[in-house]
Amino acid sequence: MDRTDGMQRSIATKVGVGLRAPHLAEILATRPPVGWLEVHPENYMGGGPALARLLAVRAHYPLSLHGVGLSLGSAEGVDREHLVLLKTLVAETEPFAVSEHLSWSVTEGVYLNDLLPLPYTEETLDIVSRNVSLVQEFLGRTILVENPSAYLRFSTSRIPEPEFLAALARQTGCGLLCDVNNIFVSAVNFGLDAAAYLERIPPDAVGEIHLAGHFRSERRGRQLLIDDHGSTVCDEVWALYGRAIDRFGMVPSLVEWDKNLPALAELLAEARKAEAVAASALVADVSAR
Amino acid sequence: MSALGKVQHDFRDAVLNDEVSAVAALILGDGLTPAERLAVYRNNVMASLTAALKETFPVICRLVDERFFDYVAHEFIKSQPPREPCLAAYGAGFPAFLAAFPPCAELVYLPDTARLEWLMHAAATAADAAPLAPSALQGIAPEDTAHLVLRLHPSIGLLASPWPIERIWRENQATAEGDGPIDIGSGGVRLEVRRHGADVVYRPLAPATFAFRSALRRGETLERAFELAGAEADANPEDARPTPTQQVPKKIVPKENASENRDLSGGFDLTAALSDLFRDEAVVGFSLASP
Repeated sequence: MDRTDGMQRSIATKVGVGLRAPHLAEILATRPPVGWLEVHPENYMGGGPALARLLAVRAHYPLSLHGVGLSLGSAEGVDREHLVLLKTLVAETEPFAVSEHLSWSVTEGVYLNDLLPLPYTEETLDIVSRNVSLVQEFLGRTILVENPSAYLRFSTSRIPEPEFLAALARQTGCGLLCDVNNIFVSAVNFGLDAAAYLERIPPDAVGEIHLAGHFRSERRGRQLLIDDHGSTVCDEVWALYGRAIDRFGMVPSLVEWDKNLPALAELLAEARKAEAVAASALVADVSAR
Repeated sequence: MSALGKVQHDFRDAVLNDEVSAVAALILGDGLTPAERLAVYRNNVMASLTAALKETFPVICRLVDERFFDYVAHEFIKSQPPREPCLAAYGAGFPAFLAAFPPCAELVYLPDTARLEWLMHAAATAADAAPLAPSALQGIAPEDTAHLVLRLHPSIGLLASPWPIERIWRENQATAEGDGPIDIGSGGVRLEVRRHGADVVYRPLAPATFAFRSALRRGETLERAFELAGAEADANPEDARPTPTQQVPKKIVPKENASENRDLSGGFDLTAALSDLFRDEAVVGFSLASP
């Protein structure tokens, strides 16, 4: 990634926010000082007024495309038509990053509109590696792959998730998108250690960090966190974010908010809070040396 | 099939068809049952797709109430899950599904009202296309005119219904005041829906104009569209008067100027119809069909 110009500095030092349609007009009208914006490419692939508005925003902010429909984990491979649409949008919007998830949503041509879990086996690693390589070759650039939040684990899994991601990055040259909220959600749901997970992610591969809120529910006395992006970031995830910055350095970070979308000001305040948490993690890092 | 392909097939069965046993055998309980864990994903899939349908069909949701809408949406999702990751394209089959769904059978106007909502959604999300000027056709030889196929703007949709769906739609907007009960036997409509700038607009069309533009939309030749329009004009001489401008809520506003409704009594004025089409910036391309 080219980090030389002013926009690139803004990406690295200022926290971005996920851009959702209800905030678009206000962003255009007020041009708040947010570092960068991220959108789901699937919402702009049809062209028309939605794309025109996105391009108007793009003229003023660095942009990242964060896919939810490529289904990198599909055994049947990625959909070529969808890939063509993505490539077209990449050419139109010139994003600084393109990312997707370590998950699947398409089987036998049916799109299930969720980030579904994968059994972490050698076979799955081969399939995902092949899919990621094909996407990168087709787009002519590397992509970032995000760790998913999960509500179930397969008994057939043989490779722990962080090692699976590290192997994927090694085999394909892809970067990783480290979602600290997802790490926390999965860790609570399976009784694992979130901080230990973070230690097993190869720092050099991490190209972006995501932050979001989740929903706390209970099933038969057992805590189950749902990754709904519907609230502020919780204290434990802020602490995990500080650790991530300490370990990975100041990589582009983003606050996502989907459900119960707040006023733009509240979302931007959450991004400023992330900047403060990152800054104090970096200061602590420097003074420790 | 790969082991992963089998897992994904079985997972889909669990999410869409409640058949959890095959995939449940591969899931760690971690303190819950595999079925309870699968239910989280099923709820996510159903809730997100139902929300997408609700956004596209808000009037249907209002007409049948939200609980029934959730029920019919779930049945639709199970029967016709999305085939592509762009959710804006999902729901084209919903009106026909409603038409064939026995619990809705008495609501005869429901499928056409859903068709109107789908056309509005499709118009809002359609690709852009630059309109042609009438001069673009200057090079066409007179003998080729009959075989001309005009491509209409991608946002344009046409819908005829025997039910007063325009009034049903208008009076079921969140902002509508309502002028009392609607007599569903009060007559049908022929509507053209399209995008104008960034707004979706609609207006009623006279029968001949509707037949003409519908034929063009289907890709018929100019000659065939003219024949069909002429037949409509002959069948409905009394309808060849301009339709009044409609009062509709913000966002969806009718276009001014209804001069394309000036069908000549006892015939169809092709020149006027074509000039209206270009004035409406409705033509974005053309080709010649082989004679």
